[in-house]
Amino acid sequence: MLTPDVARSVIDHGLSLGADFAELFIERQLRSNVSTLASTVESVQSGIEFGIGLRLVFGTKVLYGYTNRPSGDELKRMASELAAKDRRDPRTSAVAFDYRHPETIHSQQKILSDDPQIDDKIRFLLSASEAAKATNEAISQTRGNNLQREQQITIFNSEGLHIEDTRHYVRSVITAIASDGQNQASGSKDMGGLLGWELAEQVDAAELGQEAGRQAMVNLTAKPCPSGTMPVVMGNGFGGVIFHEACGHLLETTSVAKKASVFHDQMGEMIANEKVSAVDDGTLSDAWGSINIDDEGMPTQRTQLIKNGRLTSFLADRLGSEKTGYARTGSGRRESYRYAPASRMRNTFIEAGTDRFEDMIASIDRGIYASHMGGGSVTPGTGEFNFAVREGYYIENGKIQYPVKGATLISTGPKVLREISMVSDNLSLACGMCGSVSGAIPTTVGQPTLKVDSILVGGNA
Amino acid sequence: MTQQSVAERLLNWAKDAGAEADLIVNESRSLSLKALNGALEEHNANSALTLGLRVVHENRVGTAYSEATDEDALRFMLDQALMNARYSEARPEEQIAPVSALEKAPPEDLNPEDETEIETRIQFAIELESRLAGKERIRNVPYNGVSDVIRSREVYSTQGAAVMQSERMQYAYAMPLAADGDDTAMQAAMQAGRHFGDLDLDALIDLAYRRSTELLGAGPVATGHYDVLFDANVQAQLFQAFSQMWSGKWAQDGINPFRDRLGKTVFDDRLTIVDRPRVTDGLAYAAFDAEGVPTQETQLVKQGCLTTLIHNTATGRHFGVSSTGHAARTAKTSLNVGLHQLFVLPGPDSEADLSADTYLVISKLDGLHSGINPVSGEFSCGASGALYRDGERVQMVRGITVAGNLYKMLNQVRAVGDSVRWDDQKQSCMAPIRFMELAVSGA
Repeated sequence: MLTPDVARSVIDHGLSLGADFAELFIERQLRSNVSTLASTVESVQSGIEFGIGLRLVFGTKVLYGYTNRPSGDELKRMASELAAKDRRDPRTSAVAFDYRHPETIHSQQKILSDDPQIDDKIRFLLSASEAAKATNEAISQTRGNNLQREQQITIFNSEGLHIEDTRHYVRSVITAIASDGQNQASGSKDMGGLLGWELAEQVDAAELGQEAGRQAMVNLTAKPCPSGTMPVVMGNGFGGVIFHEACGHLLETTSVAKKASVFHDQMGEMIANEKVSAVDDGTLSDAWGSINIDDEGMPTQRTQLIKNGRLTSFLADRLGSEKTGYARTGSGRRESYRYAPASRMRNTFIEAGTDRFEDMIASIDRGIYASHMGGGSVTPGTGEFNFAVREGYYIENGKIQYPVKGATLISTGPKVLREISMVSDNLSLACGMCGSVSGAIPTTVGQPTLKVDSILVGGNA
Repeated sequence: MTQQSVAERLLNWAKDAGAEADLIVNESRSLSLKALNGALEEHNANSALTLGLRVVHENRVGTAYSEATDEDALRFMLDQALMNARYSEARPEEQIAPVSALEKAPPEDLNPEDETEIETRIQFAIELESRLAGKERIRNVPYNGVSDVIRSREVYSTQGAAVMQSERMQYAYAMPLAADGDDTAMQAAMQAGRHFGDLDLDALIDLAYRRSTELLGAGPVATGHYDVLFDANVQAQLFQAFSQMWSGKWAQDGINPFRDRLGKTVFDDRLTIVDRPRVTDGLAYAAFDAEGVPTQETQLVKQGCLTTLIHNTATGRHFGVSSTGHAARTAKTSLNVGLHQLFVLPGPDSEADLSADTYLVISKLDGLHSGINPVSGEFSCGASGALYRDGERVQMVRGITVAGNLYKMLNQVRAVGDSVRWDDQKQSCMAPIRFMELAVSGA
């Protein structure tokens, strides 16, 4: 890693070039990946990543560089090269480091650096695959994957911050392929969290596989989805991707500061149906999107984004806070040392309501029940988003009729937030990876089952 | 120490441990600049090196990677790879194969000297942002940038592979936010080349401006079935998203729907599809694959007939054929297969055939990372573009979805154009294909 004395000299050098703020982000990450195919081990991989990111801020301009070499001289050379066009008399002096190591509330029992537990992971994946295969003779193939990683970070900055943390991530996914000789369809189920491999003790591998197999079979027999604007009931858990795409990205100061968010000037205003309250919470124990500190060293927090339909907070990192005037929320995140931090989501979800699932279905003459969602994306400046339905059903005359396939949902954030008319009480969370300006990071999405009165369903019927 | 001497050391240790091995070295150096409000907002300068080792020991394969090159790190990486191999199934078909030497080194002009001063690049970035932002109906340009990337890829093995390709790429892009009252629109434009001089500032500004502003006032067409042409970028993205249809690895795994269709007519007979790694106009040029096997032109589909899948040495051995030079592996991943530069060759149909009657031209598909299923061929994505009638634009279109099954669509073709076009990233070069009667959801 890098000693505090070397870090001190690099930060002093950055400030001597005239920077207002200097920061070093040092990362060492272990990874272990186990993949299975049917009843065999497909591959076992591991790796070590190491690098240092240097950020210098001149006003609101960011200079960023990274290197794999833990050398003070190399970092100073990089700083001088980056600042060559911005060099000026020093504006500030560094504050002495105050070392901190945050307490963690997350489980850290079976961690990667102690034992990668490869035998146990193989057993788990093969057990899940076997259960998936056993769901139906039409299941023609199964895949399993487990990724565990251990990310050690150290952050130094010119304001005296010296903080270290270690994050333990684990995630498993099972995919089943069903085939009837003419067509193929797939289903999948995953689990993950900010904890060690003890996660496996909380989950039944067979249930994971059975769920993947069940979904593949539903999709194999599904009919083409009808098209058009109609009401949609969105299932809980990963259904929360709707809020993530339709609203969450638009509340990040990364887009707010540039006025590239449709919500940039709507703080305090009603932006959603009053049944909608939403939170971005980095403090949930063992949750996939949780952190102890963000990637700028600030303790994480629970941030109420929307309360009863009213916009109450943005997600702000250091620079976003400086540019917008909104307080930092511990949301500065990055994939690795290769990225400068930006404001990003953590565990983001719509809070539970009081409506009943049965009433939602019964209220629809013609619509879709999207029980499981896939991923999506958004254009922040216009709020236009899309996301895929991984498992869906056609609703007619207040009853679920038959499974449908090949559906996508599109709308705009401001519109869909107002169209959420019913919110149930079955809140659940699901793991996802979110890609944006500072790379791909673990985020949790979540929601209770909810009803959107009107959204464009793209099908292939 | 050079990367070659690091590789020799590491591979000798692997042999001492009774294993065969190959090593991939990925190295990159990049500069990227972004502007906001007429000034430079971000200036990034980076360098990175990753080594990826694959060992085969007693017919078992293990991989490991490292971003450090000191002796301890190299030893640890080897130990990890050997340990990982012990957990793997015996897989006799995956070996470190002897490879033929390259007939000639990759051309040097893939990585041209470029003496462009940093001030010139900064000025380009600032002008791109500020000139666009100053145009009528442009609110701001939140996403923009100029990059200079140099990267090298090296493959070494205990079976004699020692090959290197170094290349340089210049990129510029802008995504302005156009606004007319409450109506807003954003669409990106980009350019790519080997030389900074390949980037044309005026053309990029014009393209980004036109793409974003012409969507103002656009709306959905009526729900129904429409003939669809995808523009060069979207058609390339669609083929890329479904590239597993050529995969020998997916065939070996039993999930490629075309695994039993070799030699059969699978697509419209106007379609001939070829992978051409050695065309130097493209930015995905590859002289060799991830096993060091020299690449070659590979005909995938001839007049609608599936002629081959793509293979590395392991999938090739599984099916009793030779590698087609399509091994794909980065330093951090295990062995797979992948295309290089995909060409859809010119068909028989004229511009008039392509543009007869009513059809949609789709210039953006949203959600290709999530709204597709390569196992079944189905996709359903948000889309924007324009409605045409007899070659004349009737209206700009947004707020629609387009859905279909690419594997079936390639048999439901109205016309295959008689000329080809590169996509903006110069990764593939294709004749335009007019697909029949795709499901469109709109008003």
